[in-house]
Amino acid sequence: MEVIKILEIENLSFNVEGKKILKEISYTFEPGKLYTILGNNGAGKSTLAKLIMGLNGYYQNHSGEIYLNQEEISQLKVDERAKRGIAYTYQEPVRFKGILIRDYLKISSPERIMNETELGKVLNLVGLSTEYLSRKVDHSLSGGERKRVELASAMMMKPKIIFFDEPDSGIDMMSNKMLKDMFNEMKESGTTVVSITHREEISLIADHALLICDGKLVADDKPEIVNRIYKENCDACDHVNNPDKTWRNLNE
Amino acid sequence: MNEIRLKQVYNRLFEGDFEEKDTIFIDKDNVLYDIRTPGITVQSKGESNLVKLDIKVEEGVKPEKPVFLCVGFLESSGNQYIEYSFDIGKNAEVEFISHCFFPYTDVFLHTMKSEMTIGENAKVYYEDVHYHSESGNVMVESDYKIDVQKNAEIKNLFELVKTRVGKLDISMDITLHESAKGYAETKIREQKDDTCHVKEIIRLEGDHSNGMAKTFIIGEDESKAEVLNEVYGTGQYSKGHIECDEIIAGEKVVLSTIPKLLVSNNTSEITHEAAVGRVNSEQLETLMSKGLSEEEASDMIIEGILNS
Repeated sequence: MEVIKILEIENLSFNVEGKKILKEISYTFEPGKLYTILGNNGAGKSTLAKLIMGLNGYYQNHSGEIYLNQEEISQLKVDERAKRGIAYTYQEPVRFKGILIRDYLKISSPERIMNETELGKVLNLVGLSTEYLSRKVDHSLSGGERKRVELASAMMMKPKIIFFDEPDSGIDMMSNKMLKDMFNEMKESGTTVVSITHREEISLIADHALLICDGKLVADDKPEIVNRIYKENCDACDHVNNPDKTWRNLNE
Repeated sequence: MNEIRLKQVYNRLFEGDFEEKDTIFIDKDNVLYDIRTPGITVQSKGESNLVKLDIKVEEGVKPEKPVFLCVGFLESSGNQYIEYSFDIGKNAEVEFISHCFFPYTDVFLHTMKSEMTIGENAKVYYEDVHYHSESGNVMVESDYKIDVQKNAEIKNLFELVKTRVGKLDISMDITLHESAKGYAETKIREQKDDTCHVKEIIRLEGDHSNGMAKTFIIGEDESKAEVLNEVYGTGQYSKGHIECDEIIAGEKVVLSTIPKLLVSNNTSEITHEAAVGRVNSEQLETLMSKGLSEEEASDMIIEGILNS
């Protein structure tokens, strides 16, 4: 049976100053599924997501192909990718002077037109009151509040595929349920959700899990299995991002 | 004085509603004022393009509404020289909204010197918004000297963002005495070959005085700007902060900032932040990742800075 693809990456590699950050990663994401990406710090998880989104000028310095709905998009700028339905939320979203949350959410919506009630509803879904619409996306927000605004913005975008870069960092444990509800709601509306996380509880609700080590995709399976592999190998690994040693037994 | 025309222009530009408010109109060298609040007095003298204006707010006077200063020059060319002297009494609380508009001028020089003394425990808010013509030949020289006495406060905002600048030279010198607070903010958006020179000085002379100066410059096309920020920390436990954000939004723009921090008291604390360059790339990419083009994202960031 042919797999329905939303996003396909083929032999994706990325170098910075001669150092290989990503090494020939190939994978196919299916529509309406929830994925989680695991891996130690510096493994290449965020780089992979940013490369797919086209951030940091990454689109200029890679090899390999990225297909969204069978269209090769790796030479497109970030805004063109966004218009085609890719979204990314930063681990630590940047602040803006003078931009109201109301306006930030409005530009996140492809239609650009949203009434206050609809904007308020989205804020409520991420645990913020409607009063936040009049606040600014600046340093008056705490780290957790800023993160929640970014999550609300992601929901407004209604993307085809979205990468959440550690959506749970900086947000209290009580918000696990909020994240799960949000992921499920997006998934049910047909969005492919990819969550980069260290929190096992979040990763276990995924349909599929990927494990990245030293820029390589080293495991791809059910979340329970990949979590077990991650715990057994990465937690005990005394060589950060050194799959040659860590993964010898697994590969054998 | 062409009062009706001045008011019409003022209304159109600022959507001003100055009925039943304390107002002072200056057109060229003519002065017309309508002060209704007891305890505020104005003395004026105007001749040969020179206006001298003494404004006194008596001790403890706290008008409910701002005092409007409407400064215009409706001819196409000429000079205008204004000297203000503000005397704010102890415990007074007053807001001044100053609008300077020179919408029809081709070649014009506006020189303003302002000296303000703010008495103990008094609070002053002073907002100065400029609208110049699009000729690019408007020259403005503004010189503010503010003396803030014990426990008093000043918040001073200068804004020139909606029209061309022309040539602007602005100097703000604030002296803060014991436990006094001062905040100065300058926002300027330049286009074409506009140039500006901004100098902000905070003198933390009093013990526990606290001062901050912020400057935002957006430079487009081939404009130039130079910002000098100086803070002198001499008072015990005084605190000062200067911040300068200059955004280059044009290939031929030249912007610079020079901070000078001088501390001669080991309990004084002064900090400084400055950024000169193009629009923050992470901010730009974040908005572009919502689907905005680079130009749309840049405009939104700049508008945000100017509205902050």
